[in-house]
Amino acid sequence: MSTDLLDDLQKTILTYAAEDALKLATRIVKEGIDPLEALDAMTLGIRQVGDGFNKGELWLPDLIRASEAFQAALPILMEELTRSGKERKNSGVVVIGTVFGDIHNIGKDMVATLLVADGFVVQDLGVNVAAERFIEAVKEHRADLLAMSALLSISAPEQRKVIAALQSIGLRDTVRVMVGGGAITQEFADTIGADGYAATAPLATALAKTLLDKR
Amino acid sequence: MHRKGFVRRFKALEILTEDQIEEIHKATLDVLWETGIRIEHEGALKVLEKNGCRVNYQGNQVYFPPRLVEECLRNCPSQFQLTARDPKDSLWVGDNRTYFGAAPGMTTVDLKTMEPRVPTRKEMYDAVTVLDALETVDYIMQYTPYFGFEGVPQVMAMIETLAAKLRNSTKFTAEGYSNDCEIFTIQMFQAVGADMFISCLPSPPLTYHRGSIEACLRAVEAGFAIKVGGGGMYGGTAPATIAGAIVTNNAELIAPIVLFQLIRPGTRIIVYNFNYPQNMRNGAPVFGAIECSLHTAIFNQTWRRYGLPTWDDSGEFSSSKGIDFQLGYEKSMNTLLPALCGGNGISVHGAIFGELTYHPFQAILDDDIVGMIGRFLRGVEVNTETLAIDVIKAVGPIPGHFLNREHTQRWWKSEQFLPKAADRLTYPEWKEKGKKSALDYARERMREILETHRVSLPLTPSQEEDIERIIREAREYYVRKGLI
Repeated sequence: MSTDLLDDLQKTILTYAAEDALKLATRIVKEGIDPLEALDAMTLGIRQVGDGFNKGELWLPDLIRASEAFQAALPILMEELTRSGKERKNSGVVVIGTVFGDIHNIGKDMVATLLVADGFVVQDLGVNVAAERFIEAVKEHRADLLAMSALLSISAPEQRKVIAALQSIGLRDTVRVMVGGGAITQEFADTIGADGYAATAPLATALAKTLLDKR
Repeated sequence: MHRKGFVRRFKALEILTEDQIEEIHKATLDVLWETGIRIEHEGALKVLEKNGCRVNYQGNQVYFPPRLVEECLRNCPSQFQLTARDPKDSLWVGDNRTYFGAAPGMTTVDLKTMEPRVPTRKEMYDAVTVLDALETVDYIMQYTPYFGFEGVPQVMAMIETLAAKLRNSTKFTAEGYSNDCEIFTIQMFQAVGADMFISCLPSPPLTYHRGSIEACLRAVEAGFAIKVGGGGMYGGTAPATIAGAIVTNNAELIAPIVLFQLIRPGTRIIVYNFNYPQNMRNGAPVFGAIECSLHTAIFNQTWRRYGLPTWDDSGEFSSSKGIDFQLGYEKSMNTLLPALCGGNGISVHGAIFGELTYHPFQAILDDDIVGMIGRFLRGVEVNTETLAIDVIKAVGPIPGHFLNREHTQRWWKSEQFLPKAADRLTYPEWKEKGKKSALDYARERMREILETHRVSLPLTPSQEEDIERIIREAREYYVRKGLI
């Protein structure tokens, strides 16, 4: 019974069925199935989608819709996990968002999805995220990695601001920072003191792993 | 006095029926009233509310009543002048006239390696000189030719680029907005007595950021024109269907037009198209896609109905990273089609990949593309003289020919377009002259222009002083703000 439900949950990710994912997660919690197993099933699903995308068999709409199904079921499972007092093994905790003054979410969503597929715990703050919110989230979630996106040349300087703010409150050494987005270059990333820059979403997940391995 | 551009002598290409255009119009009104547009500018929201829009201040959401929309569209002038600092270079925008102009690039292309890199100051000034010299360049866009040059801080890029354009060219040019730079660029235009427009850019879907609206309000209050445009990516920031993307795009464009007409009735508005399919692999726009021209066709048809001049900026780029075959066909198709569809301004010269790269060398090649298209737009005159009945009678069958006729002498040069950087030699001639290609000719032409061309009307000493002062003040402003 529990295996069936877990299989079905995994399938909702592969068929991009967000509503069904939520329904199944709710049922799984109600029936007392280990939320860790449910999270593993979903991660397996999103990893399959990520692999398909990296192989060129799946496309951006597949990736984004699978991620939305994942996100739909996530909160209820996380809540149950917290209640049970268990900890989830993961590759690292990432706080991600598009900086203040910029509401482009596609690149950021791609990176977030591929990070989830690679076993990271991702706290997605969304778009137009003020520097203070990034800082709060890094503190609250004890993030290993902060990932910021900026598509506009006018919003790119926000990344500098966030890094400077981390420095001023003595948090800079606790967290790795990676930046990306259409307006960003390696040179820019270097000048603002980021730990890394990646030009594409698949490169960003590889970078995340490298940065956290270096710790 | 204004530049001639090219006057289209035939009906514009239309791909939808009147009924279909009406459906698009109704869908647009529906989106404006039912879904609304998010405008993150409290002052703008107040003006819109006072004039009959529903406003939800919490979400910065504005809902536009159809009657107000129709009234404000009617208040937009359908033709108007954009004054250049040398009157001979002013533009008369609208009707069946098409202007072509230069398009932007963040960086230049190193012709040896074909890699993009930041241009030097000299390369910036030289690129402007080439644009000033090219006959088919009627205007120079914002961020054009480059976003800045070596040694210029990012916040000063647009200001320093504008200075280069005003010093080395008399052609009409425009500016964008970024970190209040429009405060200074507006002063620069006023100092040289030239018109300009600022681009009003939505952040699709259906959203305007404060910066975009604020910059345009500054320009509207100073009496300048506004170029409202931009657009989404099909399947990303706009519906995946072109018809749906037209609807969201129209709604996005109409919202600020209503605002500007309420604030200053009769404000000169140009609408422009900058829509692309989304690359479903990496999320980037697909430059050089044929769908851009499909969109442009409908865009022109729709806005002709509204009576506003249109500008087409989606065909200026290619997905190719270098000056090659793909660049040639993508740019040609997406320049020709908007021209046939009746675009009043088409940005083309110099741009290579996306907005990433520009090169004067490419601008020279594009000069020929535009020349060919312009020749097509001019069409064919049919009258007694051009039907040439008398000459045909006089010449008769072989051994008669037309080469020795005064009629030929009189007509051939205006009938035939003569490209300046194309290879048109016979095979033996081509071999003998060193097997040159269009690229070789373009390189020679660039050298020649840089050696011989001088701007027709240099800035006066007092204008030059003003420009220097404004640049200085801008620097001080950004130092104070901690941005330099």
